[in-house]
Amino acid sequence: MKLLFLAAAAVIQLINAQGLNPEELLKAPTANWPQFNGDYSGRRYSPLKQINKDNAHTLTVAWAFQSRVNNLKGTPLEVNGTVYMSAPDHVWAIDARTGRRLWHYERPSEGDHIASRGVSMYKNQLYFGTPDAHLICLDARTGKELWNKVIADVAFGYYISLAPLIVKDKVIVGTSGDSADVPHFLEALRPETGEVLWRWNSIPEPGQAGSETWPNAESMKHGGGPLWITGTYDPALNLMYWGTGNPHPVLAGGGRRGDNLYTCSIVAINPDTGKLAWYFQPSPHDTHDWDAVETPVLFDADFAGKPRKLLAQASRNGYFFVLDRSTGEHLLTENFAHVDWTKGIDKAGRPIPDPAKDPQPEGAFTRSPAAGSTNWMAPSYDPDTKLFYVNAEEGSSMWYLLLDPEKKPEGHQAGATNTFWQQTHLLALDYQTGKPKWTREAGDGRGFPGILTTAGGVLFSGDVAGGIFALDATTGKTLWHTYGGGNFNSSPITYELDGKQYVLTCVDGTVYAWTLPD
Amino acid sequence: MKTLSFVVLFTTMLSAQPNETAERGRQQYVKSCSFCHGVSADGGAEGPSLIRSASLRHDNNGDLIGPVIREGRPEKGMPPIPLSPTQSADVVAFLHAQLKKLDKTSPGKPSRDHFTRAVLLTGDAEAGKRFFNEACARCHSPAGDLAGIAKKFPPVELQTRFLYPAGKPAMATVTPASGAVVKGPLVIMDAFFVTIKDADGWTHTWPLKLVKVDVSDPLAAHRALLKTITNANVHNLFAYLVTL
Repeated sequence: MKLLFLAAAAVIQLINAQGLNPEELLKAPTANWPQFNGDYSGRRYSPLKQINKDNAHTLTVAWAFQSRVNNLKGTPLEVNGTVYMSAPDHVWAIDARTGRRLWHYERPSEGDHIASRGVSMYKNQLYFGTPDAHLICLDARTGKELWNKVIADVAFGYYISLAPLIVKDKVIVGTSGDSADVPHFLEALRPETGEVLWRWNSIPEPGQAGSETWPNAESMKHGGGPLWITGTYDPALNLMYWGTGNPHPVLAGGGRRGDNLYTCSIVAINPDTGKLAWYFQPSPHDTHDWDAVETPVLFDADFAGKPRKLLAQASRNGYFFVLDRSTGEHLLTENFAHVDWTKGIDKAGRPIPDPAKDPQPEGAFTRSPAAGSTNWMAPSYDPDTKLFYVNAEEGSSMWYLLLDPEKKPEGHQAGATNTFWQQTHLLALDYQTGKPKWTREAGDGRGFPGILTTAGGVLFSGDVAGGIFALDATTGKTLWHTYGGGNFNSSPITYELDGKQYVLTCVDGTVYAWTLPD
Repeated sequence: MKTLSFVVLFTTMLSAQPNETAERGRQQYVKSCSFCHGVSADGGAEGPSLIRSASLRHDNNGDLIGPVIREGRPEKGMPPIPLSPTQSADVVAFLHAQLKKLDKTSPGKPSRDHFTRAVLLTGDAEAGKRFFNEACARCHSPAGDLAGIAKKFPPVELQTRFLYPAGKPAMATVTPASGAVVKGPLVIMDAFFVTIKDADGWTHTWPLKLVKVDVSDPLAAHRALLKTITNANVHNLFAYLVTL
């Protein structure tokens, strides 16, 4: 009996050891890809180099997994030999060596099912945001629900698309939503219980800092600023960096004159308190739905001959920004796509919107695609090449303003758009100038593949024509290319198990694991 | 035929019914509620926005809104509104229709109804004609291919179409190392393969390293135009084209 008890205790010990110690999140991703961006920096750079420039052309399928949903638009995790993948209403645990399904969690819900960008892990638990704006805690071993907490009211169009960020002993989650004029927020919860520890509102209350950038209390009550993409974190500075979404109503700026803080902003927030340390606003007073949620990527490198703790964002408005992430000091603003919606750059490094390019009743023509110059697909920074990689879009569009008979914005969008021809390019930007060192045409139309770089000198991504490829990160030369049979609308990850490096790409509803032949 | 007309009638009834209720509700709403809550139910001089209220967003067939109409909210200065149960249900249907109309996840394309010629026409037709002669006359003629163009498309579609008449495929000529040259509409070409359709409608794909491909793109001039045209010239050109 005693022996049996001891054996049971040993098994429990072993199972506990399979969980994810939050300390693991501080390490470079090798055996594990334990969080949305691999590590806290958002670089999506792996130190793995088994797959390298010399052998990438021999890559082959290790396994494939059929999720049987239409579209996987997230980033999987891989922890201790298990891959965790999500879609709206679904989470799967998959054997990282064989692609076999270990468990499947399904919870049909109301709300916007546009995407689930992934789950996050803390010890033995997974955290999953839902279309009806719940945060759900699952046992990572079984997929059984441990708790389920309403974060926001789905009746107002709130939902959760992002993979929560785990910082120390907190789960940080933000709200999304693009159907109603509502304010958004970031919230920290206790991982064990879901108890709310702090909340940071994207839109200030009257009288608070930032409220002077709104005309009145009414406009602030409905101001927007959703959180669509997981933030990054600098443990040494103890600051998180989040990009916020656009203000509401989306295309009609007349009722919300001013910069509309903290919408379309990069905000530095203390994870212990939820207090704002500094902010920088890539798009003051946005009227084009060009949110600034794209990953604020953190890296240490020289800028103008001086070593710096940098933060770089290729923003949806077409500009590449470099800041000092300790203070928010502005270092660079340079457009990475053609833009004509601005009258110039102000002293603080912010683009100055040209009111003539705001949506107009008769239509306003701009040299950006309607959906902006990039989007949620992950960029990457490679410390070896010192290049910042982003899938960027070129195009042009018409913007129409729609007011109701009372001359108030009609609805949440308050306008309409038409996009003309557009093209996607993979750009390798010199972070000190924002100019591309090389460009790879990715085809006509829009694509959403994220980017992964590795110490093997190999960059993984995809294109609009359905291609999955490995490029030489230094030159952009194709090393390997294949077709996944659908849209590559996810961001690749890599991990090493049993001495074998795997690269995962999700195409439509299928996960492909690529590896070198034995 | 009889069955078909029955089906048509039936589907018309199905789709018309909720609209009719909402329309009756709109008329009732304008009479009984808009004075305080505004014509679009987004708030007015006295009353709050209804489309932003939790009561409406959580309402299910009038279970929350019905009692408010019937009993009012005396503590907030709203009197009971004397409506029959049907009138009340109609107003609720209108309010839900408003929510549906105003909650939009994407701006969508401009509708013909809103963006009429009168709304869109801000440009200078004379300046548009000058621009046309410089930029467009090499391929197009007002008396030829563009004669009557303004009558062929609703104004807002014309405004998009003259900038970029999407849908015209590029033509590709593929020359293999040996064998016949094949010509046809380009289906897709990336950095590795080219796919075209031949005259009989069959699809062919070649690895690019084995063939020479010449592409003639009928929209090349439009793609170039999109990179240089100004907003003013878009509107001037439109003002000229609507006269054709």
